[in-house]
Amino acid sequence: MTASKSLKQPKQAVDIIGYFLRIVVVFTLICLFVPALNPTRMSELIKENDSFFTSGISYNGIAAGFKRAIDKGYIEQGVLIRTFIGSLTSLIGMIGMAVGCAMTLGDIKLKRLGSKVLGIGGVVGLAGLIFLKLQQSGFSNAANIKKIKPLEPVGAYVFIALLGVSILLCAAYFFKLPKATEEDRYTMPPKFRLFLMMTPFIVLIFLFSYLPLWGWRYAFFDYIPGQDLSMDKFVGFKWFTYLFENPATRADVGRVLINTLAMSGIGLVMSWLPLAFAIFLSEIKNSHVKRVIQTITTIPNFISWVLVYTIAFALFSSDGFINQFLLGTGLANESVDFLMGNDAIWLKMWLWGTWKGLGWGAIIYIAAISGIDQQLYEAATIDGAGRFQKIWHITIPGLMPTFFVQLVLAIAGILSNGMEQYLVFSNATNRQSIEVLDLYVYNLGLGAGTGGTGQIPLSTVVGMVKSIVSVVLLFGANKASKAIRGQSIV
Amino acid sequence: MSAKVKMKKHHAPEDVVFNIINYTFFILFALICAFPFYYLFINTISKNELVSSGQITFFPQEIHFQNYINLTKIDALGKSFLVSISRTVLGTMLMVLASAMVGYLVTKQEMWGRKFWYRFLVITMYFNSGLIPWYLNMSMLGLTNNFLAYIIPSIMSPYNVILVKTYIESIPGELEESASIDGAGYFTIFRKIIFPLCKPILATIAIFGAVGHWNSFTDSIILMSGNPDLYTLQHRLYTYLNQSTNLAQVVQGTSSIGESVGQAAVNLRPIKFTVAMATVIPILIVYPFMSKYFEKGIMLGAVKG
Repeated sequence: MTASKSLKQPKQAVDIIGYFLRIVVVFTLICLFVPALNPTRMSELIKENDSFFTSGISYNGIAAGFKRAIDKGYIEQGVLIRTFIGSLTSLIGMIGMAVGCAMTLGDIKLKRLGSKVLGIGGVVGLAGLIFLKLQQSGFSNAANIKKIKPLEPVGAYVFIALLGVSILLCAAYFFKLPKATEEDRYTMPPKFRLFLMMTPFIVLIFLFSYLPLWGWRYAFFDYIPGQDLSMDKFVGFKWFTYLFENPATRADVGRVLINTLAMSGIGLVMSWLPLAFAIFLSEIKNSHVKRVIQTITTIPNFISWVLVYTIAFALFSSDGFINQFLLGTGLANESVDFLMGNDAIWLKMWLWGTWKGLGWGAIIYIAAISGIDQQLYEAATIDGAGRFQKIWHITIPGLMPTFFVQLVLAIAGILSNGMEQYLVFSNATNRQSIEVLDLYVYNLGLGAGTGGTGQIPLSTVVGMVKSIVSVVLLFGANKASKAIRGQSIV
Repeated sequence: MSAKVKMKKHHAPEDVVFNIINYTFFILFALICAFPFYYLFINTISKNELVSSGQITFFPQEIHFQNYINLTKIDALGKSFLVSISRTVLGTMLMVLASAMVGYLVTKQEMWGRKFWYRFLVITMYFNSGLIPWYLNMSMLGLTNNFLAYIIPSIMSPYNVILVKTYIESIPGELEESASIDGAGYFTIFRKIIFPLCKPILATIAIFGAVGHWNSFTDSIILMSGNPDLYTLQHRLYTYLNQSTNLAQVVQGTSSIGESVGQAAVNLRPIKFTVAMATVIPILIVYPFMSKYFEKGIMLGAVKG
């Protein structure tokens, strides 16, 4: 009893140290991707958007802004190279820490090896970091301080502290670890082996799905591209109120919302069309004909919107097919460019969407029809039901669950028309009516070529509000679906 | 019995009318879907002068393939073709491997924090940071004007993982068990048993992924503005369609020396169409063979939904 207790006691202490150690290491690794903590940023000429990781893997990332400064002799190239060497070394050390940290999840022998690797990695990382920090004098004593604009890298202290703590914890951990016995092997419990296999993917998910949310902070700052995001530019909800108070913006957003809702609305009102398409297609009894029609009508779904636009251009531009045909047969006297102008643009966009998506949208209903019990039809036939009666009383009720799911998803996506279609079809003459929310955000924030002004905060706000409304709509629609049909869809 | 035979032999007049209308509608719609491709094609193989003066409507005239030969002379197009091909092949391969692997891992009950990590993944389907934060994030990660931007972000897709997971759960567990009794590790089981068994679903994922990669062009527009060498084929086509000056140069480049500007202008329209055909032909070739996988894909989606 006492023996087992005395065995357990030190084991728990070492486990607690292990937890802290891993938390600190993981936190350090996350900090690698935070641009605000980039220790290499000792001059404003290093991009504020670069994280320590980016600086560590590419010399160009560090040196890109210094081309002129080096040419003019404002700063020695050696300083930059040494900075890069320092950050690269530090990064390699931290990768070692990551590997070691993963190994500490193993059994005792692997734990001991892992903590050694971790410790060595930590020392290398710290050495690189200190070497990096020493280069700061190269920046602050540069020949032309006004051009170099030296900065105090706060991140360096954070990293030094984190690495220091890691090394100390690691040492404590190592000395608390019990000795490995003869029978011990380099093994790891299955639960951690599986977890480690999953880790790279967790990192990917984090980087590309969660980390972008960090960009929402731009909504609360007076941010101009290329400048720093410092606390004195914090403006709170200024851009949110601006959206409603600035008359020009308000008018724009109103117009864009009307476009978005109108085009989504047309889609919603006509969402029975694929269903009808499927029903009537299944009335064609010749299976070869059915097959061919189905194949041909689904092809447009698999071409890009650029190609759809090319087709529109080929058919409807002023020297396109339609004009050739009309002129040739004498139905028209002069050619018209159908792609220009604002007339019926919502309807035209819906028609293109239908051309592209109708056949594809019907497939899901065709499958559902083939899943309906054939005995129902046979029974109905015996009872003397006609074609339309069978459609009305058997097929349509059988398709309703599928239709309902599609409808709810369409309602949830009412603000998300996507931008590709509207981007390719937009031109100077139809821009007023074609700009949907997604395209507006793009034009406002990034579309410098198309007259956009690079208004990062404002476009972030619009995107943010859109995202939140979409989530609310989705779960609202889901709730409604649960209440009405007793079936949830997400 | 006799009633049934009778019904088959004699169509009621309203049935005949219905069938005529029904067939007419579907054949017409199929024509509307197919004709644009045909129209583009005949315009690329007919004599360029006739194309430019709008005389090709239903049938090709004076067939030649010079336009397609000329395409190979446009350097930028070759680069874009290479970019699109490599992103499609590499991106799809990695996407399939990752989906299979993660789909397998999340079925393992014994994984540390399995439920949490699975939710961590699935929940990303329901929220979206929006375009601008996404762009800023990509630029923060050094993925602007960088080929990797086409590949890495699309590796993980929660939707694909759900498809694979559902599929694996339908495979009898005994196969896996007997392998693990034989001492196979997780990775061996994945490589030798799970991956081969999942081939049907992975084929579906691969085809959708490949089409997506091939057709994608907004990422090229948003992320590659600083490096035209990395434009995808779709993006290249888009610039050709929009910028007549750009295209005029392209055409100049392809026409032989001594050809007049007028001649170059004649080539403009057919060249645009030829580029379009070059981007769509791979899909038209692949599609008929793959359509069953496409249909399977949407069905699985429906099951999930």
